[in-house]
Amino acid sequence: MHRYKFILHRPVQFLPVIFGVSLITFILVRLIPGDPARVLLGARSTPAALANIRAQYGLDEPLWLQYFYFLKNLVNGEMGKSILYKIDVLPLIATRIEPTVTLILCSVILSILIALPLAAIASRNQGSLPDHTVRIFSTLGIGFPPFWLGLMLMILFSVKLGILPVSGYGETFGDKLAHLVLPCLTIALSLSSVLTRSLRASMITELQSDFATAARARGMPESIVFWRHVLPNSLAPAVNLLAVNIGWLIGGTVVVESVFAIPGMGQLLVRAIFSRDYMVVQGVAMIFACGTMLVNFIADILTVAIDPRVKL
Amino acid sequence: MTSPLLSIQDLTITAQLAGETRTLIDHVSLDLAQGEILGLVGESGSGKSMICRSLVQLLPSRAIKISGGAVMFEGRDLTTLDEATMSTIRGSEIGMIFQNPTSHLDPVMRVGDQIAEGIRYHQGASRAEAKKAAIQILQQVGLPDPTRQHDNYAHEFSGGMRQRVMIGVALSCNPKILIADEPTTALDVTVQAQILRLLLDIRDQRGLSIILITHDLGIVAQTCDSIAVLRGGKLLEHGPKRSLLAAPKDPYTIDLIASHPSMPAPGGDAPEEKPQAAPPIRTPSAPLLEIDDLVVRFPASGNGLFSGTGKFVTAVNGASLQVMHGDTIGIVGESGSGKSTLARAILGLTPLTSGHVTFDGIDLALHRAKALAHLRRETAMVFQDPYNALNPRLTVGDMLAEVLKVQNKTTGDKLQSRINELLDLVGLERAFAGRKPSTMSGGQCQRAGIARALAVDPRLIVADECVAALDVTIQAQIIDLFRDLKQKMNLTLIFIAHDLAIVRNLCERVVVMHRGTIVEQGRSDEIFANPGHPYTAALISAIPDINPDKRLARLDQVLQAEQVVFSMGDEFPATINKITTRELSL
Amino acid sequence: MSTVHVSDWNLRWSRWLGQRVTLAAGVSILALFIFAAIAAPLIAPYDPIVHNSELRLVPPSLFHPFGTDNFGRDILSRVIWATRIDLQIAFLGVIFPFLIGTILGTISGYFGGMVDIIFMRLIDVVLAFPFLVLMLSIIAILGPGLSSFYIAMALVGWVSYARLIRTQMLVLKNSDYAVAAVSLGFSNSRIMFRHLLPNAIAGSIVFSMSDAVLVLLNGAAISYLGLGVQPPLAEWGVMVAEGQSFISTAWWITFFPGLSIVVLAFGLSLLGDGLSETLGARQ
Repeated sequence: MHRYKFILHRPVQFLPVIFGVSLITFILVRLIPGDPARVLLGARSTPAALANIRAQYGLDEPLWLQYFYFLKNLVNGEMGKSILYKIDVLPLIATRIEPTVTLILCSVILSILIALPLAAIASRNQGSLPDHTVRIFSTLGIGFPPFWLGLMLMILFSVKLGILPVSGYGETFGDKLAHLVLPCLTIALSLSSVLTRSLRASMITELQSDFATAARARGMPESIVFWRHVLPNSLAPAVNLLAVNIGWLIGGTVVVESVFAIPGMGQLLVRAIFSRDYMVVQGVAMIFACGTMLVNFIADILTVAIDPRVKL
Repeated sequence: MTSPLLSIQDLTITAQLAGETRTLIDHVSLDLAQGEILGLVGESGSGKSMICRSLVQLLPSRAIKISGGAVMFEGRDLTTLDEATMSTIRGSEIGMIFQNPTSHLDPVMRVGDQIAEGIRYHQGASRAEAKKAAIQILQQVGLPDPTRQHDNYAHEFSGGMRQRVMIGVALSCNPKILIADEPTTALDVTVQAQILRLLLDIRDQRGLSIILITHDLGIVAQTCDSIAVLRGGKLLEHGPKRSLLAAPKDPYTIDLIASHPSMPAPGGDAPEEKPQAAPPIRTPSAPLLEIDDLVVRFPASGNGLFSGTGKFVTAVNGASLQVMHGDTIGIVGESGSGKSTLARAILGLTPLTSGHVTFDGIDLALHRAKALAHLRRETAMVFQDPYNALNPRLTVGDMLAEVLKVQNKTTGDKLQSRINELLDLVGLERAFAGRKPSTMSGGQCQRAGIARALAVDPRLIVADECVAALDVTIQAQIIDLFRDLKQKMNLTLIFIAHDLAIVRNLCERVVVMHRGTIVEQGRSDEIFANPGHPYTAALISAIPDINPDKRLARLDQVLQAEQVVFSMGDEFPATINKITTRELSL
Repeated sequence: MSTVHVSDWNLRWSRWLGQRVTLAAGVSILALFIFAAIAAPLIAPYDPIVHNSELRLVPPSLFHPFGTDNFGRDILSRVIWATRIDLQIAFLGVIFPFLIGTILGTISGYFGGMVDIIFMRLIDVVLAFPFLVLMLSIIAILGPGLSSFYIAMALVGWVSYARLIRTQMLVLKNSDYAVAAVSLGFSNSRIMFRHLLPNAIAGSIVFSMSDAVLVLLNGAAISYLGLGVQPPLAEWGVMVAEGQSFISTAWWITFFPGLSIVVLAFGLSLLGDGLSETLGARQ
């Protein structure tokens, strides 16, 4: 299948982007005023440690050479040491990936489960009361600040009703799931609003499309027109939208993890910023960037699978 | 054939718009006999599509309703059926095909499945049975490899093949009536001839009745048994083909027949007399424009920065042409022949790959900057889509004023009078200076576009398919305008069109392009009377003539021409994919 | 074809009504907040900063419709004063990216070639970072505060505008009227800024409204995390953060500031929808 050949050469196209990402993170940290060795190691660092890091990152060398050292360390999987947690950055991040990925996955699935039926009902009854309700819901939903919505859900379900845990992240699978209900709902409300709007718009377009008319003209009932023609044609833009919004979604988890005290990468990032733990900031930013690229890559594959016209 | 198969009686359709009722179809009565092909003729807005859609209750909006009359079909009044009963009529009794097969086929469903869908739903066939039937139908509509092509998607076919698939979808449930809504308008003329032939064959084999909606009287003359002429929702005339064409009664029908481009133009402008008007202007001096062995290539694949495959599409391949001052040259060819690229190359709007374009003695390839500066002041272009050609935000007056100012043609005080003069020249009222394109009709926009071209005081005007998007009667008006302007202003005109009849009426010389090369050029009357190249011959014979006795081209003759076109079609999906990819990657 | 025209008219009529309502609702909500911001000293019943230990954690009542916080400050007054900062966030956080992105996108899309490739790569790199993560990293370096927020916004936010305008430019520069303008010898800057940009900008203006919603949410989120506006200044995100410790006893401290964000965001979204329909219908 030569349409899928891009799966082989697309990773090559990621290289310049990854290069750019590393350059930006490098520059960001170097922009911090003061001795970079002290910046990286924190105020209470020993002279021996300072000398060590100067050597490892070539901090006495010119900038371009420093970048080269930085890249070399990166290739070796060496992202430095956290000031706060006193361990290497990469293993530190590794322990935090699971909660974040689970949170994002569950939120996306929940959003699709909310958005698909809403968009279907609204687009098939355009201009009716259900349609207007869905439109208002989706317009309103986009404007809910996740940090506030999370707290409100917490007040309702944990404080008043007491049916769900307040915050944190459990040990067992069931426990984790219980802890994830509210964070997922928080993210899904805004994400599903965006998704509903987009799906509704493309479904309305496709319902009025020529091929839908042609299907009706050959006697297909409205249900077949919708499920077999309109829906498949509406999916590609929705997948694209999810991919475009992955960055925004990650932003949402950063905030929501802080609200619900979930030990994920977002919470790690915020704490690192407060404690000036720049190695961790750098590492998390890069891992998030790679994750975003990976998601976009998957979205490309899905788009090609959905729409036979697309060639990448 | 005593009682008609379908009988439209006093059909009236109205639209409710903000409390006001507008009548869209006004008491139309028509009969369709078993096996008859009825041509529904009219220009845009005449209501011909509306009537057909109302037959199967597929009106475009809930505000549009059948408010009177009846449609009798096999003893039932179709206007009274509910949605469930109607869906047993659609497809299985009355099938439809449409103008644009590309948008009317589901892009993400295999074409075979789209045919099988109807068979399974209407006839309750199993998956395997339906697939078998679908392959059979694909074979009937003339697909070369139906078993394989069953699994293809619509975008993998050429335009003509897509229309065949569309016909296959409509035929899948054995309808008694086929409604064909402008089925060949989007197709090249040789492909059109084949599709029309296919429709005739299907009628003969299956004995079904066809309602053929078209704006082209030539098509009607060649394929239909009877004709109904519509205008503004009213039926003007209805009768057997020959008697109606020979003796039209309604003034509009007479006008329509007179506007048809295959007829000799009225008055003293008959083709035989035209060459006499031109020669005195022509001087033996150097040509105004000379094209020598011109090649234009475009990169073919859109794989982006890191995987450029280095493939090229050659749009113009070694074209040579001389244009003398005062010439009117028509460049004809089907889609993809390179005629538009040639036009843009002449005006320096597209980079030349090799060869020379010399305008007024300055070589564009050698002295690009100087030649461009000269071209910009001495040439102008008129475009196909009159709406897309005008900046939607500028009024006609502002647009003309800008050209005059930028080109330093006219200074402050005289600006307004010059604008008025230009509007007078193209036959637009002066009040149009204050109007924006969105408030104007297609013909009016095209006149404004011509006024903009004239504002430059050009010595050469290149008109690229400038009447293709217009109704026939408007087309005739614009052609008259060009003829008029040419005489008044001593213009040199390069007129690009796919419609040979128009070129024959307007141009003294004609250039035939095919796959990027000029296959033939010479005096129009000679070439049309006696084509030297087989492609030209096929092209000419494929034009449906308004005289029913001049038969449509024989299939084998045209097929030969299309195979050439079709094989070339393979290069073009690449460009389409490039656009899709770019949009999605953004 | 007549069929198309008629359905257009019909749709246009119902859209026209819908548009009016949507646009009017959006404008009214925004006007309400602008009024509150301007007239804050006149309409806020109490001082937003001064502590009053006698009035700690008073639930909503006639004298304190939104209640008071743990320092005895009137929530309504603080919400009204905060309007000033939050409107400023939404406006300045949009205007800089809008200007930068529009200019870069116009140039990139119109000229294409090397310029375009470089800009596109830069955009790819910026987009590879999750928006908020890159913003937080920049703020981490510049130090907390509103000015850091604006700088980070300008550095990151231009990308969407540049892409929007670039896409439009790619389409419009191949339109016949652009080709006509070239063939008439118009200069590049005239074609770009007089002919193409006015036709390309509508989408960006509409987008800027939904972008204002995102910027508002981001600004509030960053302040909530403690990296933006600093207490004791009243800002809705800061207020939510301040009330977080009291959610089991005094829900009103967090509820009303957040609700203000929701309402303002709703107004901006409606404005965007209304504009999109109005501008869309005009074209």
